[in-house]
Amino acid sequence: MLNQRVLAVIKRELKEKLLSKTFIVMTILMPLIMFGGIGIQMLLHGDEGKSFVAVVSESQPLTESFQKELLSSSFMKEGNYTFSFYTQNREELKNFLDQNKKKLLEGTLTGVVYVPSSAMKDKKIEYYSKTPTNLNLSRKLEGPINKVLIDNFFSSRSLTSDELKFAREGIDFNGFKVTKDEKIEKAGYGNIILSYVFTFLLYLSLLLSGQLLLQSVIEEKSNRIVEVILSSVSPKELMTGKIIGSAITALFQMVIWLSPIILILSTTLFMLPPEITFSITINHVLFLLVNFALGLVVFLSLFGMMGSIFDNPQDAQSGMWPVMILIIIPFFIAISMMENPNSPIANVASLLPFASILVMPVKMTVVEVPWWQLILCLAVNAATIFVIFPLAGRIYRVGILITGKKPKWSEVVKWLKYKY
Amino acid sequence: MYTLEVKNLTKTFGKLVAVDNASFEVPEGSVFGLIGRNGAGKTTTIRMMMNIYLPDSGEVILRGAKVGQDFKNQVGYLPEERGLYKKMRVLDILNYFAELKGKSGRASHKKADEYLKRFDLYDRRLSKIEDLSKGNQQKVQFIATILHDPEFIILDEPFSGLDPINTNLLKEIILEMKEKGKIIIFSTHLMDFAEKMCDHIVMIDHGKVILKGALNEIKSKYAQKNVSLTYDGDISFLQGNPIIEKIADYGNTTGIRLKESSQTQQLLKMLIDRNVTVKKFDANDISLQEIFIELAGHEDGSNGSANGGKEVRNA
Repeated sequence: MLNQRVLAVIKRELKEKLLSKTFIVMTILMPLIMFGGIGIQMLLHGDEGKSFVAVVSESQPLTESFQKELLSSSFMKEGNYTFSFYTQNREELKNFLDQNKKKLLEGTLTGVVYVPSSAMKDKKIEYYSKTPTNLNLSRKLEGPINKVLIDNFFSSRSLTSDELKFAREGIDFNGFKVTKDEKIEKAGYGNIILSYVFTFLLYLSLLLSGQLLLQSVIEEKSNRIVEVILSSVSPKELMTGKIIGSAITALFQMVIWLSPIILILSTTLFMLPPEITFSITINHVLFLLVNFALGLVVFLSLFGMMGSIFDNPQDAQSGMWPVMILIIIPFFIAISMMENPNSPIANVASLLPFASILVMPVKMTVVEVPWWQLILCLAVNAATIFVIFPLAGRIYRVGILITGKKPKWSEVVKWLKYKY
Repeated sequence: MYTLEVKNLTKTFGKLVAVDNASFEVPEGSVFGLIGRNGAGKTTTIRMMMNIYLPDSGEVILRGAKVGQDFKNQVGYLPEERGLYKKMRVLDILNYFAELKGKSGRASHKKADEYLKRFDLYDRRLSKIEDLSKGNQQKVQFIATILHDPEFIILDEPFSGLDPINTNLLKEIILEMKEKGKIIIFSTHLMDFAEKMCDHIVMIDHGKVILKGALNEIKSKYAQKNVSLTYDGDISFLQGNPIIEKIADYGNTTGIRLKESSQTQQLLKMLIDRNVTVKKFDANDISLQEIFIELAGHEDGSNGSANGGKEVRNA
């Protein structure tokens, strides 16, 4: 199979791809985009700008307690919050809101928190704002307000300060990852971040390398280079060479992208802070790369096949959806798996052809996967190659020589039976 | 001695029979023309000869063995629609095509330089294809076709889209290759080119072989019954005359096909007796075009005949 002609095709593909601007730019830009994306998210989470909040309660002592509690809370140090405190009943609140309507709409007053006396029993408080669904704000105010209400509730009962402290405390949910190893370790966010990184890199790399191959096949077909090449090599040799060339490029790029993780795992040069340290081994990364290599052959066969069917990029883009679905659905399954690693759909998908390429590496990062499942996953993907590659080859050999009208799917199916 | 034998090739695409039981032989050292109008099945035949398509039935025999990769390595192929990688450099693409044929290394690179110099492209050898003029791109294609020193050169409609300079250049290459003893096979719908360049032809129409053999034999066989006539006067009396098989008006000249080859003198006498001014009476000349129209034209009836004839003449 790997004769000198296929090698010549691979060589050309590598030369063209590795030296292309797209490859260099994407290799450098992708980590920047990813970490930039994470950074922007953190920025959006962290810095919500200046907030001016009016806290209104129905009794003077309560207002004072709020003042004391809120002004001394830790987030005040950031200086993003300015509070004003009022004591008003519901009637007065109505007037207050009317008076401040303009300010509220302009944003010079972010919102009004109203703690009615009834909150002493049912803890129901109200928030008036142009943007009442501000999770950041409610998360921050929840604690101090709850504290004051609890203090107030228990102060009439005779409790020790220790008892009071316990009652005031919220729950701190600490995750411990249980693995086959003896030690049960406290899990940081590292693995979650890692599973995000894996999902996005695999997803983007499949799309990117697939699109490039698609374009390259369409170029050969529409420029009619392919007939000259077929006078020297067989369609199968050409397709094999192109797929291997693209796969090597994508795999090489993936290794570059994963190199920081590989370095962290295999050396002690870098120490990560404990919150984001991750518990995977270098074998996990190796599995990911091997599995990805198999997946690349499967998907690149499909992209190559698609390129041979259409003779211009526009038709190809609109006809690509069956292949895109095979990438996009696993992508969403993988994302959902991070939140719910035990979802049965994700568990099944991790062993299905096409889907397992994205889902299994993510699953293995968030939960412990038995080794037989990993081997089964590789076997499934290898078997998929043996089905998809010849199938794609049969369509490819007919498709690349047919130009003109955009073929119907029924015609494409007939190509499978053509003797070429 | 035949180098290449095409035996009972048939190829169908769905309901369309592109090539229908075609058989012909390419003799050693010949310039071989595959002649027929557009869509006759020439390209499909060539693709089967090149092993790009597998035939539904039939086979192509190269010196006793079925064609395969061996043959591909010995062929230089210039398809009708010619393309190159636009982003590649001239030298890179030449070396790539040579490598696909199994020729790489210094000898091949040196040869590429030689050809580039000869075709005035040496100073453009590092340019990208897209920066070259169309004429120069065609030159690059010629070089790519012959760079690996093929034994067979297969050209599909080689003159379509060429400017006059490149047309001459390609003719030069073909003749040069012929002198070197290479076998040149080309398909064309241009009868006058075929007539000037080929020594053997096969004529294909609707996927079927309708005529094959050495060109001079074919011509003398058909010429005997054919008279090409230029005249002033009225020759309508010839219609329905017992010695006339067919009259075809080509504008300036009239082609007359007799029933027997011995009747040419009788025809000339008749014309003179009827006071027709004979300007040119050529009983030995018949063009490939006339033979083609005669053979291929009648199949479609009179209407198709007119169209067929016109198409060929315009080309």
